[in-house]
Amino acid sequence: MSAALRAEGLSVPGRLEPATLSLQPGTLAALVGPNGAGKSTLLSALSGLLPAQGRAFLGADALESLSPPERARRLAWVGQEARFDFAFTVREVVAQGRFAWGDDGRGVEEALTAFDLGALASRPVTQLSGGERHRVTLARALATAAKVQLWDEPVAQLDVRHALEVLALARRLAGEGATLLVSLHDLPLALRFDQVLVLDRGRLVAQGRPQEVLTAALIHQVFGVRAVTGPELLLELE
Amino acid sequence: MRRSTLLFAALLVLAMAASLAFGEVRLTPVQLWDALRGAGDPLYVTILRDFRLPRTLVGAAVGAALAASGVVMQAFFRNALASPGLLGVSSGAALGAVSVLALGLTGYSLWVLPLASIAFAFGATGLVVLLARRGASTERLLLSGVALNALLGAGTSFLLTVSAGHFELSGQILFWLMGGLESRTFEHVLVGLPAILVCCVILLRLARPLDLLSLGEESAQSLGVDVRRLRRTLIVLSTVLTGLATAVAGMVGFVGLVVPHLLRLSGGPSHKRLLPDSMLAGASFLLACDLATRTLPGGLRLGVLTALVGGPVFLWMLRSQP
Repeated sequence: MSAALRAEGLSVPGRLEPATLSLQPGTLAALVGPNGAGKSTLLSALSGLLPAQGRAFLGADALESLSPPERARRLAWVGQEARFDFAFTVREVVAQGRFAWGDDGRGVEEALTAFDLGALASRPVTQLSGGERHRVTLARALATAAKVQLWDEPVAQLDVRHALEVLALARRLAGEGATLLVSLHDLPLALRFDQVLVLDRGRLVAQGRPQEVLTAALIHQVFGVRAVTGPELLLELE
Repeated sequence: MRRSTLLFAALLVLAMAASLAFGEVRLTPVQLWDALRGAGDPLYVTILRDFRLPRTLVGAAVGAALAASGVVMQAFFRNALASPGLLGVSSGAALGAVSVLALGLTGYSLWVLPLASIAFAFGATGLVVLLARRGASTERLLLSGVALNALLGAGTSFLLTVSAGHFELSGQILFWLMGGLESRTFEHVLVGLPAILVCCVILLRLARPLDLLSLGEESAQSLGVDVRRLRRTLIVLSTVLTGLATAVAGMVGFVGLVVPHLLRLSGGPSHKRLLPDSMLAGASFLLACDLATRTLPGGLRLGVLTALVGGPVFLWMLRSQP
């Protein structure tokens, strides 16, 4: 089976050293690393939003060979910031996920429901809290029905219930064959993913199964904290 | 078509009829209808055809252009307080017009002044885009625009000071800088109307991508908008619209700021409605202001009146911004 998302020597001068990675369809992958390690840069470069050197592939197609709408139908990106300057309603914003599909409106209601936004659907997005706005951008990405989803810290601002719901949804999407790469700060949470990618100062230092990658030695090397691994991952300052 | 759009279209028809009917000579609806068909009193026909019709057409085109350009700038900069002149287009057009006035070149042809201001308007935007090219981030574009606006404004002020000794000339320049629609001819209609109409039609087709752009460049790009191309198209359209409007009517402020903002407050930010409504309402607003300058005593200039109405509205908007 060919990879759903692949990068070969993908780099951004000064921010990301050449990174090579490959994610199979149906994979739920976590991207971890300290602040400034290049997580957002890697996600933006993989989405084609940031000019980058090297190559990225969606399935068999080189990313740059796809037109913007073609790419949008196959890859969705959710940024770390969820800021809206104009008072569109929640439903209008989520419906923008169907732009590349000729605004057919399909799956918009389902996406609203999936992120618990049904009751807020008619509210202007400018009146929402930070966490609610994040759920709107996630719902918009879900509405694209893209099989590759890149989410930049989707749960950092969510309350515990919504965070767990988002991860359950991510798991369900992966079960349906989607490929997700999700940046996180919560290392214990990353243990529940299929794959973990670790970035350190612009370098992709590890990729693999969580238990194999997130060793005490690597966590100490990358994050500078003491880790006690086991059934539970415990972290503390030295 | 949406109900609000029909309403604003009806309002524009009314404004145009009023603009044609009122003035020093007042026409009744019957006289107006006859004169439009070329029948009735030949004096009325002349007044209508040679004076009021060009004036009305130019006014409507200028109002629509400025409002549309305002909508574009606001989506582009994701700021409801962005104005059409942000990238230096209006001050460029002003410097062009003032230059040919100061050099006494306007006597050769009616086309000299509008063409000079269009050339300068394009030159100004071209310069901003060039300056902002590396990275071409929105913020850089904005800052370049600020700097260029100051520079061009200084040029205009300099020419105004130099010509201050020549009473007639400085009067001409001042009149132009304050905007106005008097003695517009069909040459002005020809300079402004067709290109403005074309730009407006193109813009209406870009309503949906504008929605996405107004919520962020990266998200728009990720959702399938070709943002680089869209941004380029928008800069060109907004330059043509603002440049032409300024070329045929002088400096007219606040229309592009106030009209879209009020419509966004009343009907939401969706461009499918905002764009046509702003064009129609902008045209009506400008015609109403022009009518007021004609009928109110005191020799108010158009640009003064739009600012006089727009200024307080703008302040109120700022207060009600969340």
